[in-house]
Amino acid sequence: MQETELHDLSDDADYAASQQHGSASITRSDSSKRSSSSEPEGAEIVYLKDNVTIHPTQFASERISGRLKLIKQGPSLFMTWIPYKGQNSNAKLSERDRNLYTIRAVPFTDVRSIRRHTPTLGWQYIIVVLSSGLAFPPLYFYNGGVREFLATVKQHVFLVRSAEDANVFLVNDFQDRLQRTLSSLELPRAVSVANGTPTSISVSESPNGNQERTDEGFYDGSSSTSQYNGRQKQKLHDPARDPLIHVLEKFSLVTKFARETTSQLFRESHGDGFSANGRRIHNQSSLDYPRKASDEPQKVPDEIPQKVPDEIPVPSDPCEKTSCRNQNHGEEAATNVGSFELIDCKEFGKLTVWGKPRLPPLGLEEWATFLDSEGRVMDSKALRKRIFYGGVEHRLRKEIWAFLLGYHSYDSTYAEREYRGSLKKSEYETVKHQWQSITPDQAKRFTKFRERKGLIEKDVVRTDRSLSFYDGDDNSNVNLLRDILLTYSFYNFDLGYCQGMSDLLSPILFVMKDESESFWCFVALMERLGPNFNRDQNGMHSQLFAISKLVELLDSPLHNYFKQNDSLNYFFCFRWVLIQFKREFEYEKTMRLWEVLWTHYLSEHLHLYVCVAILKRYRNKIMGEQMDFDTLLKFINELSGHIDLDAILKDAEALCICAGENGAASIPPGTPPSLPIENGSLYPQQDDDDVL
Amino acid sequence: MATSGNKNINAKLVLLGDVGAGKSSLVLRFVKGQFVEFQESTIGAAFFSQTLAVNDATVKFEIWDTAGQERYHSLAPMYYRGAAAAIIVFDITNQTSFDRAKKWVQELQAQGNPNMVMALAGNKADLLDARKVTAEEAQAYAQENGLFFLETSAKTATNVNDIFYEIAKRLPRAQPVENPSGMVLMDRPAERAASASCCS
Repeated sequence: MQETELHDLSDDADYAASQQHGSASITRSDSSKRSSSSEPEGAEIVYLKDNVTIHPTQFASERISGRLKLIKQGPSLFMTWIPYKGQNSNAKLSERDRNLYTIRAVPFTDVRSIRRHTPTLGWQYIIVVLSSGLAFPPLYFYNGGVREFLATVKQHVFLVRSAEDANVFLVNDFQDRLQRTLSSLELPRAVSVANGTPTSISVSESPNGNQERTDEGFYDGSSSTSQYNGRQKQKLHDPARDPLIHVLEKFSLVTKFARETTSQLFRESHGDGFSANGRRIHNQSSLDYPRKASDEPQKVPDEIPQKVPDEIPVPSDPCEKTSCRNQNHGEEAATNVGSFELIDCKEFGKLTVWGKPRLPPLGLEEWATFLDSEGRVMDSKALRKRIFYGGVEHRLRKEIWAFLLGYHSYDSTYAEREYRGSLKKSEYETVKHQWQSITPDQAKRFTKFRERKGLIEKDVVRTDRSLSFYDGDDNSNVNLLRDILLTYSFYNFDLGYCQGMSDLLSPILFVMKDESESFWCFVALMERLGPNFNRDQNGMHSQLFAISKLVELLDSPLHNYFKQNDSLNYFFCFRWVLIQFKREFEYEKTMRLWEVLWTHYLSEHLHLYVCVAILKRYRNKIMGEQMDFDTLLKFINELSGHIDLDAILKDAEALCICAGENGAASIPPGTPPSLPIENGSLYPQQDDDDVL
Repeated sequence: MATSGNKNINAKLVLLGDVGAGKSSLVLRFVKGQFVEFQESTIGAAFFSQTLAVNDATVKFEIWDTAGQERYHSLAPMYYRGAAAAIIVFDITNQTSFDRAKKWVQELQAQGNPNMVMALAGNKADLLDARKVTAEEAQAYAQENGLFFLETSAKTATNVNDIFYEIAKRLPRAQPVENPSGMVLMDRPAERAASASCCS
């Protein structure tokens, strides 16, 4: 492929990194190219990505996930996106809707440009703009992979970066005759399809449904449509089977559909949310203020509850006003969670019932009732429920955390656990020995090891040193933190060590005391939280995105406020999510919160509802004081140590039940702490560990 | 707070540098006058503000303190975009941290605001016995690259206020008419607009 220096993509770090990923497919496709034929069996999938999703509406439940493929057939490259069938969260979607969005074999000769959008936080997505000026809805890459996608495309078609916008990649943009000639030699294309259909669909119709999200992307290239129409279209034998026509037909449907959806949404939002905005509800202040714990922060000036709302009208809380969007939620809660004490959503406004009262922690005698004579947990669900509502006494943590984290299985006996413990201990020693046996000379030639060790050593000496367990010079527990983390970075060499891990390990070691047990419990926790630390920040993306969707669902005025203040990335929740609120509560409370979260009793993602619960608790302050992004981050950081855990847990529980299926649908599959949904390399890495 | 006029200036300042160089310690010394031997690592980012009176004006620094690990590098542009000033911090007892500081300077020169006031802080200056980076070397690098350099110690407070004062003095005094798009942000809406592009 020819490419001018001007448009060389190798200056793009993203792109350069992706070259390595793509190299395997180059080789394959080159060979297929040489033996190219027009027969269908010559087709080869050169790129495949699951969980690429479109968002037809603002409702998470209506998102459609599918599989994106690049298919090489002869000299041509095609793109397809086929929605999955039978997604349970998409029950509302008819087959027709699904068909509407399906992208069937679009040749890249019809593609004008690809805009990539890779926000620091939030989903990566691309918008594919056709030569006609029409565009497909944004394709959100839930599992990352945008740069591999672009790299793969570039291996097969002429792709250059737009001089105007580094995130726009032009397909088949031949700037001068030489390139055009060279290219036409390499990729002979029949001239013209000359169908008039494409441009007859007005460009201005296309973005209606998605205008807010996609802005500029849709209009890309529309002005230069005509110059491409004649030249680039691939001729197909049967015009009726021209994929482009199919696409455009679909698209006219899509736009119509989208327009209808939009207007419907508009009506709905006026009907149920906006009309009451600004109208103060007499007991609103009772929502946020009287429930404050007596140890409220002095730094957080909440003490003047009535002042702020007088100055700036704050939209009222929809949960408070309408109780719950869906009147059936109460019943659903009853069926979904069995004997759960029904939360009366109608009472939200008065806040008389707001989650089940918290119980005292599980004690020794009660714990014994959950075990059979050989030490098996007889009813793990009942146990998890019990812990969900009260946690466990500290002296039981060592035993019970091993179950909650998954180090021991609930149906194991005392003897089995002891045996397993000894096996695991020797396994731990094996891994630990790997780095212990590195000689000083070897270490000199092992930069990555030295860097990791250095980083870990810097962090362990500043992890919870105010705790007596970790204080003092040459504290042996600090050394254990170091050894376990270094061993983990060998056990999971791809992920390595990342700041924040020492925070996650510290309470585990504090509870388990034993080195090997702490290690394996940490391993189990990282099975779920590892993606938080991925280089591409995917795990964090999906969680912050889910929070945004949950706030949208549970408090749309607050969502709108964040939107207006450029705070929709929810980055101010980053620390909360990354280390599971470890820095937000005192040590004992953190342990209590963690064991509650680890029960996965109502949801694997209760922590996201905890985020929403905290934000809602301070919503009036946030909106009343018109906090911008910086102020918000400062405010949230300073809430540390001042959050009433029990109250927040009750709120989170109620919100989780109230959100019901819509809440669950707001959280993409595979979002931590769910176990990863994909096999293969769990932590896709480039070889650039900790060097700029 | 959000006043206009050249007597009161809001300036966004970002601290960048290697893990454990002392970014948080510097800012805590400056803002709160505190020092903790084992300052915990920064997760995500922290935000502080502190106002200084310099000559005829007051400068309100809005300070972003960032996580040092390379793993979180992709978040950095969110902080430095629109910043009027940056302090790039290294640890004088750690050669790697100095190399990393140079990388940050390069990145800011390539991506940051061209009028940004950049300071290079050689921190932990109290640990003279363990010094690995000489003041001369750092000074020469700073001069070549248009930064000013000070050796600081968050522990003893040496030069900590000074480095912020020096930055405040060097901030261009925006003229309301001549320099409307200057990087010294005079009002909040302008700053919000600046950050809007990177945080969406």
